[in-house]
Amino acid sequence: MKKNMDYGLLISILLFSLFGILMIYSASHIWAEYKFHDAFKFVKNQGFFFLIGTFLMVVISKIDYKKYYDLSNKLLGVCVLLLILVLIPGIGTIRNGSRSWFGIGSFGIQPSEFTKLAFIIFTSKYLSKNEKDMNKIKKGVLPILGFTLFLFFLIMLQPDFGTGSILVMSILGLLYVGGVPFSFFLKIGIVGVVGVAGLILAAPYRLARILSFLDPWKDPLGSGFQMIQSLYAIGPGGLFGFGFGNSRQKHFYLPEPQTDFIFSIISEEFGFLGVLIVTSFFLFIVYRGFQISLKSKDLFGKYLSFGITFQLLFQAVMNLMVVTGLIPVTGVTLPFLSYGGSSLLITLCGMGILLNISRNNT
Amino acid sequence: MFFSSIHKRIKLIFLVSIFLFFLIIGKVFYIQVIQYQKLHKYANDLWSRNLPIEPNRGTIYDRNGTVLANNLTTTSLVLIPNQIEDMEDTTQKLADILGVTYEEMYQHVSKKTSIERVHPEGRRLSFDVSDEIAKLKLPGVYLVKESKRNYPYDTLLSHTLGFVGIDNQGLSGLELMYNSYLTGEYGAIKYFSDAKGNKLNLNEVYEKPQDGVNMTLTIDYQIQQSLERELDNAMLKYNPDQALGIAMNPKTGEILAISSRPNFSPSHYQNYTTEEINRNLPIWATYEPGSTFKIITLSASLEEGVVDLENDHFYDSGSIQVENARIKCWKHGGHGEETFLQVVENSCNPGFVVLGQRLGKEKLFHYIDEFGFGKKTGVDLNGEGSGILFSLDKVGPVELATTAFGQGVSVTPIQQITAVSAAINGGILYQPYIVKSLNEPETNTVILEHKPTPIRKVLQEETSKKVRMALESVVTNGTGRNAFIDGYRVGGKTGTAQKAQNGGYLVGNYIVSFMGFLPADDPEIIVYVAVDHAKGITQYGGTIAAPIARNILLDSIDALSIQKREGSSEKNYQIGEKKYQTIPNVVGMNVNEALPLLKPFKVEYSGTGETISYQSPSAGERILEGETIRLLLSE
Repeated sequence: MKKNMDYGLLISILLFSLFGILMIYSASHIWAEYKFHDAFKFVKNQGFFFLIGTFLMVVISKIDYKKYYDLSNKLLGVCVLLLILVLIPGIGTIRNGSRSWFGIGSFGIQPSEFTKLAFIIFTSKYLSKNEKDMNKIKKGVLPILGFTLFLFFLIMLQPDFGTGSILVMSILGLLYVGGVPFSFFLKIGIVGVVGVAGLILAAPYRLARILSFLDPWKDPLGSGFQMIQSLYAIGPGGLFGFGFGNSRQKHFYLPEPQTDFIFSIISEEFGFLGVLIVTSFFLFIVYRGFQISLKSKDLFGKYLSFGITFQLLFQAVMNLMVVTGLIPVTGVTLPFLSYGGSSLLITLCGMGILLNISRNNT
Repeated sequence: MFFSSIHKRIKLIFLVSIFLFFLIIGKVFYIQVIQYQKLHKYANDLWSRNLPIEPNRGTIYDRNGTVLANNLTTTSLVLIPNQIEDMEDTTQKLADILGVTYEEMYQHVSKKTSIERVHPEGRRLSFDVSDEIAKLKLPGVYLVKESKRNYPYDTLLSHTLGFVGIDNQGLSGLELMYNSYLTGEYGAIKYFSDAKGNKLNLNEVYEKPQDGVNMTLTIDYQIQQSLERELDNAMLKYNPDQALGIAMNPKTGEILAISSRPNFSPSHYQNYTTEEINRNLPIWATYEPGSTFKIITLSASLEEGVVDLENDHFYDSGSIQVENARIKCWKHGGHGEETFLQVVENSCNPGFVVLGQRLGKEKLFHYIDEFGFGKKTGVDLNGEGSGILFSLDKVGPVELATTAFGQGVSVTPIQQITAVSAAINGGILYQPYIVKSLNEPETNTVILEHKPTPIRKVLQEETSKKVRMALESVVTNGTGRNAFIDGYRVGGKTGTAQKAQNGGYLVGNYIVSFMGFLPADDPEIIVYVAVDHAKGITQYGGTIAAPIARNILLDSIDALSIQKREGSSEKNYQIGEKKYQTIPNVVGMNVNEALPLLKPFKVEYSGTGETISYQSPSAGERILEGETIRLLLSE
C-alpha cells in the first residue's frame, strides 16, 4: 500500500477550511464580542474542531476504507441510538428551536451529522451487496428507502429539515448511481411533492417561508427578513467587494452571519470575484471526488466515494441556492465554510475516507 | 458493463452539478451587477442614519431687493442615545449647561430612538451654550445647524408677511400661504451605523440642504415705511381704535404698501391676540365706505352720460326728500347753487342722490358689480373679506339714494382701492397682487412670476380722464385740499362714514378716509388711508386722513422718482390759507429793487453790499408765503 493519495484534493481541503476559519472570524467577531465579550469565541471553537478534524482526516486517510464494510452496521447502530437519545430532554439540548445537540461545555455535537456519514457507508455496502436486486423495486429499493425514511423521521423529530433532506437526497443519489431505474425517481418525485404539501399542512409557517424567497419584501420583518439581509450583503458587494473584514451586514443586520449565511458575507467582502473562487473550489473538490469514484476498482469504494462527494455537493448547492434566493430558506450549512464543529469534523472525516479510496485506486 | 452504467450516471450528475453552480453564479451576478444600484441604495438607507440639517427658509424681498425676512443661523442639540457611553455623566453635564433638571434631561438621553432632538430646551442655542457643549466632546452628542427666521424691520408689513413657528413652519400670512415654496428641503449628515445604532468607522456623507425659494414682493420698502410711520403717528395723535392704509400702482394692481394698526412683532407673535395677528384690516375689514364710494357713482354717471359736470347745475338746500326719508347734506344749510363738478368737490350728498336717481338702481348696481364690489378681489393674501351689498330686488328709492353716496353698502379697503384704480387708470379693473416672483435660490431662476392681470374694462378711456379731472379738482378746490402737493397734480376723495352697529349708527364714531393719487394726468400711485374712531378732533376725512395720505404720496414721489408736472392746476385757496408763490429772479438786482418783488417771503441776508449775487431757493421754485429766501450780497 505504498501508493500516493490525491494531494491536490488534500491541499484544497486544507486551504478551503482555513479560508472558512478566516471568514468565520470576519463574520462572527462583532456578534461574538457583543454576546460573549470574546471576539474570537467562534473562531476558537471552529479552530479546535478544525485541528481535530484535520488530525482525524489524516488518520482516516491511512485506514483502509474496506474496514467500514464490516463496521457499517455498528456505526449506524450507534448513530441511531444517539439520534434517539438526543431527543430526550436533559440529554439533548435545544439550539435555534431544534433539539439536535449534545452539549459538552460550550461545544455542541450533532448526532445527525454523524448519521449522514454513517448512513452513506451503510448504503454503499447495501448497494454493493445487493447489486443484482437494485432494479427490483420491492426487493432491492424499498428496504433501504424505508430505513432512510425512518432516519429522516427521527431527524425530523428534532426537527432538522435541512439535515434530514440532505440525508434523504444523498441516499437517492446513491440509489440512482446504484442502478435504480430513472422512472422510480419520477414516482418518488411525485410522492415528495405530496409529502411537502403534507408538511406544510402540518406546520403552516413553512408555507410563508417557502413563498418568501420569491419576494422577500412582502414580509420584510418576518419570513423575508433573512433573505433581504442576505441580498443586502451580496448586492452591495459588487464585483470586488468591500474587502476582507469590511462587511457591513455582519454588524447585527444579518443574524448569525457565521452559520448558514456565511456565503453572503463572503460575497459582500470579496464580491463577484470571491464568489467565483468559492464555487470553483467546490467544483474542484466535487470533480476530484467523482474522479476517485470513477477510478475506484471495487463497488463499495465506488459507492462510498460517490456518496460522500454527492452529499457534499448537494449540501453546498442547497446552501448556495438558499443564500442567493433561488430556493426557500432551509437551515443548511455550507460545508467547510459555515460555523459548526460537528459538521466540519464529519466533513473532514468524509474527506479522509475519500483520500484513502484515492490512495487505493492508483 | 455494470461499471459503465454507474460511470455514465456519475458523469451525468456531475454535469447537472456544473449546471447548478452556473445557475448560482448567474444569480449572484444578477444580484451583484444587475440589481446592484437598487440593493446598494436600499442597503445604504439601512446602514446610514441621518443627522438632519435644516435648510435656509427663502428670503423675502421688496420690489427693489430690500430684505424683509431672512434667517439667522443658530445651533441645536441632537442626541444619538445609542452612541452615548456614559448616560449619567452625559445627562448631568447637559442638564447643568442647559439649566434643566437631571430627570428631564435623562428622558432625552435614555430615549429609545435613533435620533433625539432635545426640544425645546436644546433648540436655537446661543453661541456660548453651544460652544460649551461642543467642548465636552461627548460621544453621541451633536450640534446641528438650524436657521431662525428674522424680520429685520420687526413690525413692518407684519400682517402680510406673517410669522413662523419653532420648526420654521409658516403659521400665518405669506409665510403660511407660500410655506411649501419657502421651506426648502432638509439635508443631512449621513453616518453609517450597525443595526443597534452604534456608529461604524466609515466616512460620513454630507447631503446639502436645499434652501427655500426666494420671494419678491410688489411692496416698495420706502413707501411701506412711510405708511408705517404715518400710521404710528396717527395712532399717537388721534388714539383711534384702528387705522389702515394701502398704496397701489393703479396701472397694474401691484400693492406697493399695506399695513394696519394694531399690528404685531412676528418674532414675538405669542404676545398678541389672534385677532391682532389674523386681522389684516386692509383686506379683512368691511365697513361703510362713505364718500370715497362717490367715485363709483361719479364714474357710472359719466360713463352713462347722465351728467355734464361743468354745465349741469344743482341746488342743494341742505337736504333731499326721498320717499319718506329726508336725506341731509353733511353741510348744515347746504351748498346752495352749484355745478355738478362742485357737487363732487363739496362731496355734496343730495347732489349724489340725484346722480343715483338719474342712473337708476339697475345701472348703478351694474357698475358696483363691474368694479368688483361684493366679491373678493382675489388678492394673493389670505383672510380677505367680500363685503355686503343690497340684493337688487331689495333696493328701493332710499337704498338707491344712500348707496349713491356710500351708505348702506359694506366694502373692504382693497375693493375700494382696486375699483378706484380702475376708475382712474383708463378704465381697466386689475386683480391686485403682492407676490411679484418666486426665484430658485442658487440660480435665481424664476419659478413663478405674477404679471398684471386685467379682469375687465369698466370705463371708457375718456370717462376715466373726466373722473381724474374731477378728483383733481376735489383736491385743488374742494374737500381734499389738505392733500395738495404743489406741482404734482394730486387727485382724491375724502370719506367720512358713520359706523353702524346692531342696525343703528353709533354717535360720534366715524371711519374717516381718503383716497388719493398722483399725478392726476397719469396716475402712478394711489393711496387709501382710513382711521377708525379718531379721538380729540372733529372726525372728517379731509382733516385726518388726507394729510396722512399726502405724506405718503410725498414720500412716494421720491421712492418712485415721479416727475414734476408742467401746468399743474393752481390750488383754490381759502381765506387765510397760505399760498404757494413762484420765486422771481433777483440775482444781479439792487437790494432795494428786489425787495418789493420778494414781498410775500421772509428775506435773510449774508455778505455785505447792495448787489444780489446769489439767491436760494433759485428762481422758478415755488414756496409757501412767509418762507425764507436767502440772499448773498456783494459790492
